[in-house]
Amino acid sequence: MRFNEKELVFLSRQPSERAAELGMRGPKKGDVVKRRQVKLIVNFLFYFRIDEDEPIGALLLEQCRVEKEDNHAFSIVFLDEAERKYLFECDSQEQCVEWIDAIVKASYEFMRKNLIHYRTEIHRLTGKDPLEQYGISDETRFQVNSGLPPLPPPPT
Amino acid sequence: MLFYFEERESREPIGVIVLEGCTVELCESESEEFAFAVKFDCVKARVYKMAAENQAAMESWVKALSRASFDYMRLVVKELERQLEEVQEEARSSQAKNKMKKQVQAAASVQPATFSLQNAAITGPVQEGVSSRENGVSWSKPTSVPNGVSEGCVWEGDCSGKGDGVRPPPVPPRRKTNGGSLESPVSPGTGCFSKLHDWAVVARIQHDRESNGHHGWQ
Repeated sequence: MRFNEKELVFLSRQPSERAAELGMRGPKKGDVVKRRQVKLIVNFLFYFRIDEDEPIGALLLEQCRVEKEDNHAFSIVFLDEAERKYLFECDSQEQCVEWIDAIVKASYEFMRKNLIHYRTEIHRLTGKDPLEQYGISDETRFQVNSGLPPLPPPPT
Repeated sequence: MLFYFEERESREPIGVIVLEGCTVELCESESEEFAFAVKFDCVKARVYKMAAENQAAMESWVKALSRASFDYMRLVVKELERQLEEVQEEARSSQAKNKMKKQVQAAASVQPATFSLQNAAITGPVQEGVSSRENGVSWSKPTSVPNGVSEGCVWEGDCSGKGDGVRPPPVPPRRKTNGGSLESPVSPGTGCFSKLHDWAVVARIQHDRESNGHHGWQ
């Protein structure tokens, strides 16, 4: 599938939510851990070779699950390819927890759910829809029942 | 993200345009009516030109595309978060006031729950002052409260029709901001937030003069 690479590269140069050098292992068999510069920008996780300007790749952080792994590490798996795990090794437990939190909150889906929650609460407390004055109350993405299906529960 | 497919029934997209950081504009074209373009700020970026089937569809697409970015969503969430905190704070403080008033106002027929809720709704716009005037509503001070206790809160809405004047009148529906006013009636500080909705600003006619050989219509 084609994508607008130039614009994505441009995006990867913008100020990030969080950036650090981490150990990263790809999902394929035989992949080993390599040091990468990892940058969280909006709902993308860009990764670069150390001291390189252009990212080697990016993960779109939607429909994915982030999990704590042993030894200050976390993993990201995607809904449609649950066996493909991206592993990230941090320098400390604290850093690991912070990254997990940041990634969970980075998705568009997470923001959407928050928005709907605030909208519902404000409406409940005031009887008014806060989106109405901005003319966006009918947008599909802001409706309570729309949106992507929830992720299946993690395998036990 | 804007996914594009070969055909309506295609299951997989041919490609995707990441919309973060883009601007959307109307554009003039000899071959297509209702044309618009997605542009980016970066050097050598492609311009993605598209055309809708009618005016309404075009306007709808331009609106949707200009509100697709993460930044926009973040702004909306922050704004609602702030509003909710405000509303919750009002509800908390008016409940505290209400407890005092209850003790003094023995004969009042006010239902505490609705009273504080109404207060929560009222004190917000009252502080701005502007919107209720525009609604053509007359102010009425709570002098009709039986024991003369005045909290200093002003009733919004028509009080004259009510029998006892104590029961809070229904709050009139909030008026929609029209294009002319860029200030949000909710809070003056969100002026630029309202601007995002003034998408008419992007309706500039532009000739296509891209220098980097884009492919044309998609």
